[in-house]
Amino acid sequence: MSRELSELYRSLAADADARDLGLPDVLRHQADRRARLRAAGGTLAVGLVVVGVVIGSQVVAPPSASVPAPAATPTLSASPSPSATGGSPSPSVPPTTPGRTQSATATSPGTGAPQPPRTPTRIPDRAFFTLAPSNDKGIAPVFQDVAALPGLCGARIPSEAVVHRRTRVLIYKLPQTPKGYVPDGSYAHSITIYRAGRADDVLRELRQAVRDCPVQKLPGDDTPGESRQRLIPDSGFGDESVLFEMRRAGQDVNGDPTGMEDVRLIRAIRVGDVVTILWEQGWEGTSSQRAQVDADSRRAAAAIKVWLG
Amino acid sequence: MRDGQSFDDFYRSTTRRMMRYGYAVVGDYNEAQDLVQEAYARAWRQWGRLSAHPAPEAWLRLVVSRLATDRWRRLRGLRGALRLAGAPPSVSPPNEDSVLLVQALRQVPATHRRALALHYLFDMPVEEIAVEIGVPVGTVKSWLSRGRARLAALLPDLAVVELEATDVA
Repeated sequence: MSRELSELYRSLAADADARDLGLPDVLRHQADRRARLRAAGGTLAVGLVVVGVVIGSQVVAPPSASVPAPAATPTLSASPSPSATGGSPSPSVPPTTPGRTQSATATSPGTGAPQPPRTPTRIPDRAFFTLAPSNDKGIAPVFQDVAALPGLCGARIPSEAVVHRRTRVLIYKLPQTPKGYVPDGSYAHSITIYRAGRADDVLRELRQAVRDCPVQKLPGDDTPGESRQRLIPDSGFGDESVLFEMRRAGQDVNGDPTGMEDVRLIRAIRVGDVVTILWEQGWEGTSSQRAQVDADSRRAAAAIKVWLG
Repeated sequence: MRDGQSFDDFYRSTTRRMMRYGYAVVGDYNEAQDLVQEAYARAWRQWGRLSAHPAPEAWLRLVVSRLATDRWRRLRGLRGALRLAGAPPSVSPPNEDSVLLVQALRQVPATHRRALALHYLFDMPVEEIAVEIGVPVGTVKSWLSRGRARLAALLPDLAVVELEATDVA
């Protein structure tokens, strides 16, 4: 049955109409808050530069009897430079990365005035890292509603503090694998925003869940064997991270034992109130390569930091 | 001085059309939602002057288009594979025709998507599209024609009569 293009666009419009963009006053308040934060951040940055220059000049210059006071701190205009005047629409703001300017970084105890915690509420595509060119298999990641973590003896990682979560499946190759070969591994990669101050609870409970589950039966009633879990000391990823492995007897595609061990690495990284989890799931019986998981974990944490600003 | 009430009225009267446009141009609902919200946020920041603009909705569409173009530029390397992998799932089951169209639009150049969206969603004649985008009328005709031809190739069930529509001529 043939259709006309106008019909398809009508269907698209109907789909778009089914969603709600939110209330205008909420959007106005968020936009104003972002503008204030941006202005405050700019002023702070200029202030730090001025202070730095003054301190630097004190170090370099010979001491004098009296240090002149620095010039008044320049103030930044909070208003964006508009160019929507004139006959034709011309947005002044360059089409740079859309989205947020807010930060979700946890405040450090003992430092100066705490910044207001700003937890983002949505996860854009750009929050997800891109593979290094040498790992790119040419297969685009697919966003799917897959589990973010493997089962751990039935432990439940609380989800009531989840604000938003997106999960994708990512397929990669190792750098030394030539083009055209089958992939070397895959990730279930999730990003979850938690309510302010709750993300560290999640990592703590994840550690405990791994400790409490050193051995478990493999999932599925008719799947023989067991897997062994253990925490691996980990640092240098985000604000904190949890790395653990799952080991089981390797099986080939027919389910026959290979005599090798199948090792899966799972790392959860917290950046402020955001947690990203890389669950390496291999490809046709391959085991996780620590160096590769480390490299991708760094890229994942870096992408989130860039997103959060 | 910005008038919140007039902005809210503008927002309520235009959001539906803007979301349709964003969805058609971006090809992903969640991304479209982000971009449209960003466009409105920028509109509010400049509302003091923008409220007096002769075509604030066209201004918004231009912002959405530029944000979308930037996004597509960033994702350009993934587009080929996206064709293999299909569209990411939406929150609720979308209409099948809508899914087919969006998947096909992802393989159409951004300029063509934009012209097609203005034509089919806003019933704009070629001359108005040319003014809004800032290109000659002949360019818009070419974009519409080539965009339709590409969609016809990607959507085998598309009626041929649509390709012969005289509104492009």
